[in-house]
Amino acid sequence: MNKRVYAVFYMFCLTLVFTSLVTVAKVVNEERIAVNQQANRQRVILTVLKISQAFTAPRDEIARLFASHISESEAGGRTIYSAHDPVSKEGLGHAFALRGIGFWGPIEAMVGVDAELSRVLAIEFYRHQETPGLGARITEPWFTEQFAGLSLVEEPGDEGFFTISPPAPDKPALELDAVTGATLTTRAVETFVNQELQMIKDLGRAWQKGEQ
Amino acid sequence: MARKTAARQIMLEGLWQENPILRHTLGICSTLAVTNLLVNTLVMNIGLIFTLTMSCTTVSLLRNLTPLRIRMMVQTLIISSYVIIFDIVIKAYLPDISEALGPYVGLIITNCIIMGRCEAFARSNRAWPSFLDGLAVGIGFSLVLFGVAFVRELLGFGSLFGYLVMPETFTPWTIMIMPPGAFFTLGIYVWLVRSFAGSAEPERLKM
Repeated sequence: MNKRVYAVFYMFCLTLVFTSLVTVAKVVNEERIAVNQQANRQRVILTVLKISQAFTAPRDEIARLFASHISESEAGGRTIYSAHDPVSKEGLGHAFALRGIGFWGPIEAMVGVDAELSRVLAIEFYRHQETPGLGARITEPWFTEQFAGLSLVEEPGDEGFFTISPPAPDKPALELDAVTGATLTTRAVETFVNQELQMIKDLGRAWQKGEQ
Repeated sequence: MARKTAARQIMLEGLWQENPILRHTLGICSTLAVTNLLVNTLVMNIGLIFTLTMSCTTVSLLRNLTPLRIRMMVQTLIISSYVIIFDIVIKAYLPDISEALGPYVGLIITNCIIMGRCEAFARSNRAWPSFLDGLAVGIGFSLVLFGVAFVRELLGFGSLFGYLVMPETFTPWTIMIMPPGAFFTLGIYVWLVRSFAGSAEPERLKM
C-alpha cells in the first residue's frame, strides 16, 4: 500500500480506537461525576452564604444543610439561591452564579450577597482554566477575601464597584490587590464581577420597587 | 537467566542510573507543582506511573506498525488518551483530590518523561521490557517526588499526609508551600544524592 495512504489510514484507525476508549470511560462514569459536581456546587453555595464554614464538611452533611437552608428561584433568567435560617425563617442572603471570560476560558464564580442585596458576603471562583500558579491563584483565600464587604448600596464609580491594581501598601479600600503575574486574568475578573454586581444591584432596586 | 538479568538492569536504570529527575532533570514542572502535599503527590504519581507504563507498552506493541514519520503524533494520541481516562476516573472516585490537582492531571500529557521514554526506549524494544522500563522510570520519578513532598509538607504545613506531626509551637515555613520551596528542596536533594552516590555523571551522556 502507498505509504502515505497507509499513514493516514493507520492514524485514523488508531484515533478511532482511542477516542472510543475515552468515550466508554466517560459514559460509564458520567453519572458519578455529575453527582460529585452537584455536591461541589452545593458546597460552594453554602460557603459564599457563610452557612457552612467547614469547607471540608462531609458530603451528606452538605446535602442536608443545602436542603434545609436553600431555596431556588428564578429572576431575570437566572437562578437565585436564597438562604433562610431553618428555625427563625430569617433571610440569610442570596447566592448568584457568575460567569465571565478569563484569559484561557470561561471563569465560573458564585457570589453571596446579604438578604437586602446591599453587601457582598463572599465570592468563590470555582471553575476556570487559568494558568496554574498564576491566574489560577484567583481561587486562593487572600484574593477572594478582598471582595467580602463590598457595598452595593452606593452608586458605583466610573470604574465600577471596585478596581484591581498591583499590591501596594495603603491603598484605598476599593482597590483590591491583583495576582502578580496574571494581569489579564485579574483584568477579566475585574470586568465581569463588576458587571455582575451591577446586575445584582439593579435586581435589588427592582425588588425594592416591587415591595413599595 | 539472561532475560532476568535484563529485567533487573532495566529496573535499576529506571530507578537510579537514568532517574529522570536526578539524572536528566526532566519533569520539573510537575515536581514543582504538586509536591506541597503528600496526598496530591501520591495521586499524581499513580497517574504518572499508570500513564507511563501503559503508554510505553502500547507504543512498543505498535512499534512495527507505526510509520516512522507520524510516530510523535501517535505517541501523543496514546499518552493523552490514557491521561484523560485517568482524569475521568479520579473525577468520579476521588473528587476532592481531583479538585485539588485541578489542571495538573491534564498536564501529565505534556510531561516530557513520558514521551522521552516512548522515544528513547519503547519504540525500539519489545513490550515486556518497555513495560518494565515505564514502571521503573515512573517509580524512580515518584520516589524523588515523595522525597521533595515529604520535606515541603513537613516544613510548610507541619503535617504529613494531612496529619499534624510538628509540635504546636512550630511556625510553618510558608515559602516551602510556594514554588520557590520546591526549587530549594529539589536542588539540595539532587546535590546531596549526587555527592553521596558518587559517579557524578554517567559515563555516557544521553542527548
